[in-house]
Amino acid sequence: MRKPIRIWGGVAAIALLGGCALVDTSKTAAVQTEDSYYADAQARLGEIAARKPNTKRAKNVILFVGDGMGVSTVTAARIFEGQQRGVDGESNVLSFEAFPYLALSKTYAHDAQVSDSAPTAVAMTTGAKTKNDIIGLNQDALLENCEDSKDKHLTTLWEMAEQAGLATGVITTARLTHATPSATYAHSASRDWESDADMSEEALAQGCPDIAAQLVDFSYGDGIEIAMGGGRDRFLPASSADPEDEGKTGKRNDGRDLTAEWVAQYGDGGAYVWNAEQFNALDFGKAKHVLGLFNRSHLEYEADRAKDAGGEPSLAEMTGAAIDMLSADPDGFLLMVEGGRVDHASHESNAYRMLTDAVALNEAIKTALDKVDTDETLIIVTADHSHTLTINGYPKRGNPILGLARGVDGELILGDDNKPYTTLSYANGPGGQLEGARADLTEVDTTDPDFIQQALVPLSSETHAGEDLGIYATGPWAHLFQGTVEENYIFHVMDHASQIGAKAAAKAAN
Amino acid sequence: MRSMMERRQMLLAGFAGLGALSWPGTVLAIDQIKIRDLYKTQDEFSERALDLAGREIEIPGFMAPPLKPDASFFVLTKRPMAVCPFCDTEADWPLDIVLVLLREQQEWVYFNRPIMVTGVLELGVAIDQETGFVSKVRLTDAKFELVG
Repeated sequence: MRKPIRIWGGVAAIALLGGCALVDTSKTAAVQTEDSYYADAQARLGEIAARKPNTKRAKNVILFVGDGMGVSTVTAARIFEGQQRGVDGESNVLSFEAFPYLALSKTYAHDAQVSDSAPTAVAMTTGAKTKNDIIGLNQDALLENCEDSKDKHLTTLWEMAEQAGLATGVITTARLTHATPSATYAHSASRDWESDADMSEEALAQGCPDIAAQLVDFSYGDGIEIAMGGGRDRFLPASSADPEDEGKTGKRNDGRDLTAEWVAQYGDGGAYVWNAEQFNALDFGKAKHVLGLFNRSHLEYEADRAKDAGGEPSLAEMTGAAIDMLSADPDGFLLMVEGGRVDHASHESNAYRMLTDAVALNEAIKTALDKVDTDETLIIVTADHSHTLTINGYPKRGNPILGLARGVDGELILGDDNKPYTTLSYANGPGGQLEGARADLTEVDTTDPDFIQQALVPLSSETHAGEDLGIYATGPWAHLFQGTVEENYIFHVMDHASQIGAKAAAKAAN
Repeated sequence: MRSMMERRQMLLAGFAGLGALSWPGTVLAIDQIKIRDLYKTQDEFSERALDLAGREIEIPGFMAPPLKPDASFFVLTKRPMAVCPFCDTEADWPLDIVLVLLREQQEWVYFNRPIMVTGVLELGVAIDQETGFVSKVRLTDAKFELVG
């Protein structure tokens, strides 16, 4: 209830009715059982009670990570996606919300209550938590200390999968060298060491490779089969002009053109693409090792993708291509797909782009579900950490999720400052006022694509948040996701279901 | 015709330089374009932008933190951006920004305060002699005011 006085009023009414037989009990049962919500939940109960756990070995594993896609983001995305399609948003079901199994993920880092994307990704890819800003190293690693890092390497499931003979891939809308994707293949005392130009002279002198170089020099098995995303300038020398952005260049100081090296080392099976035309022309059924770098930095937000100069494939298109390619391996595959910019739009506090990117991830998951058999493929959808997004009360059912909160009476709901507010807001971020009163949004179109949600604490970049996240799973051993678990538990289910670690160990022993 | 006072009140009512800020049919009206409408694609200007080139127009947006306190220019962004393009050459600065060259120095505002900039629209690549900053869109002889 909105106001305490109404609660007391309700209690008083119940007290007055006590002992009076005003209800026709013969009709009560039908009123309830024929209620649409009641009946729907009964049907759901039947479905869930009939479930049988799938204990087959998972031939394939796909890990979808919505970067920063906390529970409130999933709720908002569900409503947004439904409203976009012209159906009821609140009862809408995103693709992964229909998955049978769910656990909650505790995302704290070894040294932090609230994590950045490095230790959270490492938890999922290696099975162990580490410190903020660290990639592929254990909890004892020291930040930005190259020498110290050399005996702290953890082995990722992608490395084990290559050792075991599976095909592997990593797809993202962020830079391929960004924290989440790099946690599949890299080991670095700083997540920021994306190219050699980003490293200290000391770290370079001590021989630590940058993250982009580690992708191309990946030495496990026959190498990663497909890696697509952004971050092209980390792979090109500073002397090379960028093929897409006039006047821009690569940023590497060591003169290496990692895109050319990728193609050269894989011979006829190697391919490098940087725009949508090349992507569309590529035969993913025949290619053996594909590197796709569709932007100098991150890919565009889904909302801006159509304006990209060179043209970019969507996350769903990249996911479909990756599955087409990786499915050719009879030993199975391991794939990470990251919706990397859900996080960035939340940092900007731009709910419109955050939600359109979350919907793009949902589309990618739908593509995967169309292409694989979940009887033999374990699909996990989760986030790495949350954001401070909240869904404010009490908008009426069907109120536009990006709109001002209007009550069931259709009237704007006002704060104690007599100004309306949006349903979605952030606890901190660029929408916070440094000084002066909160802006009056009465005449503002808050559904505009460039609208910035208001926030309490002013910060140039909105922060991550530390509450638990959903882990949604379907396929073999998905039923191992139960209860509240540590984020690094996700690795252990992927490994148990696929036996990747055991197979890698067996191969190494032979 | 709206008085200046009414117009000012309308400006104050707006936020984030959004769609609310237009007043068709008034003599005082100056053509206005949003930053996102300047480009058809990242490497091609929109027809509307080409039509407006060389004219005094208004663009709503936000002021990126200026390079130095006594500068007479700043970068206008479509959403609040605290990263300074000059301070960090590695910044992933968006392509759709506008370089604002002020008629006279004005007091800077915080990066998330919505502003309306009035100036003469210039299109095409230009390199600033002093800073080396490359811009594709500029507002020259410009001034700005807070809108929220």
